[in-house]
Amino acid sequence: MVRKNVFVAQQAQEYDAIVVGSGITGGWAAKELTEKGLKTLLLERGRGVEHGTDYVTEHKKPWDFDYRGRGERELYETEYAVQQTCYAFDEATKQFFVNDKENPYTTDPDKPFLWIRGYHLGGRSLTWGRQCYRWSDLDFEANARDGYGVDWPIRYADIEPWYDYVESFAGISGQAEGLPQLPDGPFLPPMEMNAGEVFIKEGIEKAFPDRRMTIGRAAVLTQPHNGRAPCHYCGPCQRGCSTGSYFSSLSATLPAAEVTGNLTIRADSIVHSIIYDEEQGKATGVRVLDANTREEQEFYGKIIFLCASTLGTAQIMLNSTSNRFPNGFANDSGALGHYLMDHPYLAGATAEMPDLNDRYYVGNRPNGIYVPRFRNIQGGPQHPDFLRGYGYQGSASRPSWGRGTSMPGIGADFKRQLRDPGTWQMWIGGWGEHLPEYDNYVELDPDVTDAWGIPALRINCVWRDNEANMKKDMAEQAVAMLDAAGATNIQPFNIDAPPGFCIHEMGTARMGRDPETSVLNAHNQCHSVPNVFVTDGACMTSSACQNPSITYMALTARAAAFAVDELKKLNL
Amino acid sequence: MDRREALRRVGVLMGGTVSMSVMSGVLGGCKAGPATAEFVPQTVNAAQNDLVTVIAELIIPETDTPGAKAARVNAFIDKMLTDWFKDDERAHFMAELATVDAKAQDAYDKPFLDLTPDEQTELLSAMEDEGIAWMEALGEGGADPEKPPFFNLIKQLTLAGYYTSEIGGSQELRDMPIGQYRGDVPFEEIGRAWS
Repeated sequence: MVRKNVFVAQQAQEYDAIVVGSGITGGWAAKELTEKGLKTLLLERGRGVEHGTDYVTEHKKPWDFDYRGRGERELYETEYAVQQTCYAFDEATKQFFVNDKENPYTTDPDKPFLWIRGYHLGGRSLTWGRQCYRWSDLDFEANARDGYGVDWPIRYADIEPWYDYVESFAGISGQAEGLPQLPDGPFLPPMEMNAGEVFIKEGIEKAFPDRRMTIGRAAVLTQPHNGRAPCHYCGPCQRGCSTGSYFSSLSATLPAAEVTGNLTIRADSIVHSIIYDEEQGKATGVRVLDANTREEQEFYGKIIFLCASTLGTAQIMLNSTSNRFPNGFANDSGALGHYLMDHPYLAGATAEMPDLNDRYYVGNRPNGIYVPRFRNIQGGPQHPDFLRGYGYQGSASRPSWGRGTSMPGIGADFKRQLRDPGTWQMWIGGWGEHLPEYDNYVELDPDVTDAWGIPALRINCVWRDNEANMKKDMAEQAVAMLDAAGATNIQPFNIDAPPGFCIHEMGTARMGRDPETSVLNAHNQCHSVPNVFVTDGACMTSSACQNPSITYMALTARAAAFAVDELKKLNL
Repeated sequence: MDRREALRRVGVLMGGTVSMSVMSGVLGGCKAGPATAEFVPQTVNAAQNDLVTVIAELIIPETDTPGAKAARVNAFIDKMLTDWFKDDERAHFMAELATVDAKAQDAYDKPFLDLTPDEQTELLSAMEDEGIAWMEALGEGGADPEKPPFFNLIKQLTLAGYYTSEIGGSQELRDMPIGQYRGDVPFEEIGRAWS
């Protein structure tokens, strides 16, 4: 608890490097830059969080909560209206989500966008889904192949060693499969599939030789790793994990950065904008508002890493105007704010496996299964109705007492029935690629500001036909696979969820080869401001269909190595 | 089910391995005080509290494990009515609660609490039939989703209150142990559902 004072202490104003944001990429930037000897200031707009002691709901039982997990309904409806739609939001995790009222954003009423956020040290690395899937050249070449978006300035060979590097440090459990579209990594032992999942896997792979079902590749340890303990299978990781068994900034990268002695963390520090020096042709620092006192301060650094999350970074860049950049920071191309993407999902199917009811499981495994992309693979058939593809996630389980509300009966017999678990159920749902479109974009709202006077983002983002057609196929193929596997009572689902709900928002400051059509180069460096790097999701040129965090991590470590190298060569 | 609730439920599914305790949390609950503490209901009166207590125990009775009364489901329901229900929802619940004695009077010329246990069960089962008819009507768009009949309300609240209590979650059902994952275990080795 003593260390909390660090988060609000007075600090020097000049650093070698400033990192904006302490989530998955900010943590990596801080680790890499400090380990390479740079005195680094890490700015976090939210409160400080202490690893372990601030995971105040960890291992609590339902009966330990005032409302048994459901929380204060009126408060959630009035002040957490967006956040409460997130699957990970409840009475046990509310402290890791923003207050929507204090942190407004706007949309056209007909074009809703769900922006799920956590403003605190560690950011969404505390609550993330932990799934880690590499991209391949199927993804990096996609824009060039079909013409949507600009070509990525990198290929798999450029990022492969950096995937190896970040995965080795983070610890990713998973099963090597040898698939070109989903490259393997240095995996820790895989988690076990349960009886229901094994049943479905065998059925799918027998009926569809081009499809594979594997255990989820997760940033959750299955053996001791770099001083962190393996998972103890309590279940709800999003409450925080005091054994550091899943990767987060607090469990892994920030402790590594702190031991260098080069890290200064400043919480409650909202970056208002970047300071640009026209004579030097580079950024000199950032303007910061104290979240509590609203006092304005400036901090200076030789290089700046923007890791404030996709939309957070876009907001800072759009709010950083100057004579040189009247339309937003480093925005010579006009691409800043544009080509926002998420992943279309919530289409798939559920089914039952009644023949397995003599089998059960022990433990809450924080992971599911994955069916790698099989649509529109290079050299394979191309689907007539959509470009690109999707992968499935899912899991099998046996329902518990919750099914009782839809079961008839009362009394001792009814109670006895609910003592047994229900029939095995499997669900699989697709996570799909979202095509980059200029008209999916964010801008600063001319009328609305947040509690600190900073213009709110106005988000304009919709799904188009390609995503809708893809979702239709997700549901149809889910039915086909569960049917082929021999499951029963198969029910397709295709839920109309707005963009943002997948919490994989990316794009708005894309990488590219041409400064006239992109904001960043192949090293996540602003084309027009060489000492500013953007390595969070804002940098993404396309979305692929994989959960993106591991790619952000690899790009961040790669960019940090480049930046330090350039700094040493006196190029920045 | 509105869209947000649908999304939320699928979201819970998507945790995939989300513990049933989280699932049960989603379905609602509150903390009843220690069993020894004097319970003073905040929304229902003493007679209504007796009625709720008896009906909850009829739904989940004491068997070889304690039932709804021992798990203080009545206190849970009062807390939900007080803090969680909106004004119109609370008014609807109280109006529906009043129909219980009216139905008992119609059928037996006695208030519900004066009926024999068999008569109480019979009346409650008749109310369940009405509840099922309402669900069917709802599915066909012929019922107001904001106005479920009393049986549906009390059964849902009783199950949520009981199975998220320490008694329901760790005596009647099994509380998931921490420390291991095994994906294929003979059911008889465990014997009961994880809560």
